[in-house]
Amino acid sequence: MWHITKREIYDNLNSLRFALTTVLLLALMVTNAVKHLREHPKRVQRYQDAVTESLNHLTDRADDSLYTLAQYGPGNFYKKPSLLHFCANGGESVLPDVVEVDKPPVFMTDAEGNRLLEGIWSLSYPDANLNNKDVGPNVSQVDWAFIIGYILSLIALWFTFDAFSGEREQGTLRLMLANSIPRHTVLIGKFLGALLSISIPFALAVLVNLLLISTASTVHLTTEAWGRLGIIFSLALLYTSLFVALGLLVSARVQQSAVSLMILLLTWVTLVVFMPSTLASIASSFSPATSFDEFWKQRNPIQENLWDKYKEGRSSKSVDRRLRAKSEFYTENAEREERWQEEQLKYRTSQVHRARAITSISPATLLQHLMARFAGTGFERHLQFVENTQRYARQLREFVADTDRADPESLHILGVREGMSKKPISPEAVPRFEDTLNLNRDFNTAAMELLLLTLFVLVLLSGAYLAFVRVEV
Amino acid sequence: MTLILIRRELLDNLMTFRFAAATFIMLLLVVANTFVLIIDYERRLTGHNDAAKMHQRQLQEKITYSAGMDRLSADRPPNPLSIFNVGFDKRLGNEVQVSHGVVPSLWDGYMHGSSNPFMDMFASMDIVFIFEVILSLFALLFAYDAFAGEYEAGTLRLVLTHPIGRGYILFAKYIGAMLCLLAPLLISLLLAVILLTTSTSISVNTDDFLRIGGIIFTSVAYLSVFYLIGLLISAATRRTSTALMLSMFVWGFLVLVYPNVILTVIPRSEAPDALRTSAFNRIESIWDTFDRERKHYLVTDDFPGEDWGYELRGWGSRSAYFWDNPRTLMYTYNSIMDFEGFGEEDEPKMPHAQKHFGFLGAQTIDAAGRTWLIRKPALEEIFIQPANVERVWLKLSPVGLYDAATQAWAGTDLLGIRDFFHAARQYRQSVINYLYDHKVFESRQWFAGDKGAADWSGLPQFSFQRDDISTNAKRALPDVCLLLMINVVLFIVIFLIFVKSEV
Repeated sequence: MWHITKREIYDNLNSLRFALTTVLLLALMVTNAVKHLREHPKRVQRYQDAVTESLNHLTDRADDSLYTLAQYGPGNFYKKPSLLHFCANGGESVLPDVVEVDKPPVFMTDAEGNRLLEGIWSLSYPDANLNNKDVGPNVSQVDWAFIIGYILSLIALWFTFDAFSGEREQGTLRLMLANSIPRHTVLIGKFLGALLSISIPFALAVLVNLLLISTASTVHLTTEAWGRLGIIFSLALLYTSLFVALGLLVSARVQQSAVSLMILLLTWVTLVVFMPSTLASIASSFSPATSFDEFWKQRNPIQENLWDKYKEGRSSKSVDRRLRAKSEFYTENAEREERWQEEQLKYRTSQVHRARAITSISPATLLQHLMARFAGTGFERHLQFVENTQRYARQLREFVADTDRADPESLHILGVREGMSKKPISPEAVPRFEDTLNLNRDFNTAAMELLLLTLFVLVLLSGAYLAFVRVEV
Repeated sequence: MTLILIRRELLDNLMTFRFAAATFIMLLLVVANTFVLIIDYERRLTGHNDAAKMHQRQLQEKITYSAGMDRLSADRPPNPLSIFNVGFDKRLGNEVQVSHGVVPSLWDGYMHGSSNPFMDMFASMDIVFIFEVILSLFALLFAYDAFAGEYEAGTLRLVLTHPIGRGYILFAKYIGAMLCLLAPLLISLLLAVILLTTSTSISVNTDDFLRIGGIIFTSVAYLSVFYLIGLLISAATRRTSTALMLSMFVWGFLVLVYPNVILTVIPRSEAPDALRTSAFNRIESIWDTFDRERKHYLVTDDFPGEDWGYELRGWGSRSAYFWDNPRTLMYTYNSIMDFEGFGEEDEPKMPHAQKHFGFLGAQTIDAAGRTWLIRKPALEEIFIQPANVERVWLKLSPVGLYDAATQAWAGTDLLGIRDFFHAARQYRQSVINYLYDHKVFESRQWFAGDKGAADWSGLPQFSFQRDDISTNAKRALPDVCLLLMINVVLFIVIFLIFVKSEV
C-alpha cells in the first residue's frame, strides 16, 4: 500500500497541477496574512478604546451614587475581536459588535425641563446598520474558510479526476491489478496519495501564513489559539478528504477522464456554489419576517397598561406607596423594553438557525459553520456574546440590590432617588464585564456538525470502494 | 462549405454527454432558483407595502403639520428585475425620511423593519450569478478540445486538405459551438420569464422585456468571451489533457479567485479625514448662523421672552433639537409642536407664534439647501469615488464586466438606487412648494390641532418610477462594448495562432 501511496505522491509532485496549486495557495495565504496584519491592530485598537470609554462610564456612575448606577447602568458592551479572524470571517459585517445600554427614557417633564417621570436603563440589540451605507461592490473575504471551502476542494477534484480513469486510458491500471494487490489497498493507497500530495502545498501555505502572522509584533497568538488552529487544520483535511473520495468515486465509475472531470465540476458547482445560497433562500422563504408593524402593535397596548397601573399608585396618599409605584413603573418599563428587544432577537435567531440547519446539507456550509465556530467568529459567537452581556446585566442588577439591602437606612425602593441607599460605593467593588469564549462549549455544539461531515466522508469513501471493486478493467 | 462545417460542428456538439449535462443542470438551477427568487421578491413586496401603509397611517394620525413633517417618508419598492441581478436592491436603504429640514440622500436612507438583517449572512442568489459560474464553465468545457481534440484524432488534417480557408473553419467552429451553448441559456431564460409572467404579484411591462433582452444579449457576449478563451487555450496547447487542466485553472482564477481577492490586494482607499472634517465644519457654521438668526428673531420680535414655543400652555408636547452625524455629514434642526388645545390666555400669543414659525420654516429650508450644496460633492468624494475605483478593478475580469452590465440593465446598480433618492429629493421640493403655496408654516395647524387638524389629503403623493430603458441602456453600454471588444480581440488572436500553426 505504501508503494502505491509513494508512487502517487511522486507522480503528482512532478506535475503541472502541483506547481500551479502551490503557487495559487501560497498567493492566497500570503494575501490573507497581509490583510489580517493590516486590519487586526486597527480592530483591536477600536475595541480597546470603546471598552475604556465604557468602563469610564461605569466608574463615573458608581462614583456618583448607587442611584445613578441603578438608573444609568454600565456603558455599552463590545464584542472582543477574535484572534483567529483570518480563519473565518463568519459574516461579521452583518453582525453588530455592540450591545447597547439604552439611556433612561424621559416620560414627563415640567416647563423648566425637570424630569418628573423617567425610566431606568435597559439592554438593546442594535443592527449592524453600517452595511446599508456601504456603496462598494459586494465581495467575499479571503479568509481560510474561503480558501479551504472553495479553492482547496476544487484542487482536490483536480488531483483525483483521473486517478482511475486516467490510468485506465493509459493501461497502467490493468498492469497494477495484475499484481497480487487487493483492490481496496489500491483504493486506500490512491486516497492517501492524493490527500498527502494536496496537504503538502496546503501545509506549506498555512505555515507561511502563520509565520507571517505570528512573527508580527502587533498580533499575539495564545496557546489556546494554536490549539484552535490545529483543530481548524484537521477540519480542512477532513473536508479535503471528502472531495478526494468524491473524485475517486466518479473516476472509478467513468471511463474517460474528461467526462469524469466534467461530472466532478458540475457536482462541485452544485454542492459548493449553489446549494448554500439556494437552500438559504428556500429556508428564508419559509418564514416571513414579522414586519415592524406587528411589533409595534404588540408594544403599544402594553405601554398603556403600565400607565394605568402607575396612575393608580400616583394618587395614593402615602409617600412610600407613591415611590413604590414609580419604582415599579420604571423597572417594569425597562423589563418590557428588554423583553421586546429579546423577543425580536430570538425571533430572528430562530429564523437563522432554521436556515442554517437546512443549509447544513451542503458540506461547504458545514465547513464554514465549523470554521467560524472554532475561530470564535460568526453567529454562534455573537449569540454567546449577547448571552454574556445578559448574564452581566443580571449580575449588576443583583449587585445594586444587594448593596442597597446592606444599607439599613435605605427604603429599598430601587430606581428612585429618594428610595435608595445614599452611601458612597467604591467603583472597584462593582463587577466588570468580560467577554469570554469557551472552547469546550464550542466543541460540544460542533460535535453534531463534525459528525455529519465525517459521515459524508465515510459514505463517499465506501461508495468509491464499492464502485472500484465492481468495475471491470 | 461553411454551412456544412457549421452543421458538422453543431451535430458533433449536440450528440455529446456534455450538452445533455449542460442543458439539464442549467434548467434545474435556473428554474429552481427563479421559483425561490420570486417567492423572495413577493415577500419583499409585501414588506414594502406594509411599511408604506404604516407610514401613511402614522402620517394621518398627526394633527399638526410640524409633527407630520417628522413622519413623512418615501419608500422604495423592490425591483422585479432584481431576480436577474440583485445588485444593491437588498443592500441599500429602502426608505428615507422626507422633511423640510434636510435634503435626503442615500446615506440618510434605512431599511424598513420587515427584513431580518441576520439573514444577509447567507450568500444571496440571482440568475446572473448562476450564469456567471455555469455558463463560463460550459463554454470552456465545449472549447477545450475543439482544436486539441481534432489535432489528436487527426481529423484536423483531413479537414484542411479541403480547399477552405482556415478562417472559415475557425468561424464554423465558433458558430456551431455558440449555437449549442445558446440552447440551454435561452431555454432556461425562457422558462424563467414564463415563471415571472405567471406570478400574479409581478407586473412586467414592455420596458422590462427590453431590459431582459439586454441581459440576454450581455449573457451571450459573456458566454462568447469564455468560449473564445477556451478556443485560445485549445489552439495554443494542442493536447486535450493540458488544455482541459489549463482551462479549469483559468476558470477558477477568473471566476473564483480574481473577483474575491483583488479588492483585498489593492489597499482600500479611505477618503481623507481632513475632507470630511472641513466639510462638516462648513456645514456646522451654516447651522450656527441659522441658530443665531433664529435667536435674534426671538429677541427682536414684538413678543417678550425668548422661548421658541411662545410660552404656550396647552395640552400636548413640544420638542426642538439639532441633530447631526459627522460620519455622513448630516446636520439638521427640527422643532415639533403637537398641541390639542390651549387655555384662554394663549390666544393673544397665537399671531406671534404663527409669524415665528413662518420665519423659521423658510430659514430651515434655506439652511438645508445650503447644506446640501456642500454635502453633495463631499459625499461623492468620500463614499462614491473609492467605491468606483474598486469597481474598475473588478471590471478587469470579464465576470466583473458581466455583473456590472447586467446590474445596469436591471436597474439595481448604484445609479439605479440613487435614482430613487433623486426622486425623493424632487418629492421633497414639491412638498415644500405645497407648504409654501398653502402658507402652512404660518398657519395655526403647523403647531396646533384645536381649530381643525392638519389636512394631509392635498399633500403630493410620492411615487417612484424606474427610469426608462434608454437610461439603462446608456449605463450598460460601455461595459457591453468592452465585452464585445474582448470578443473581437480574442477572435483575432486565435485566428492568428491557428493560421500560423502547423498541423
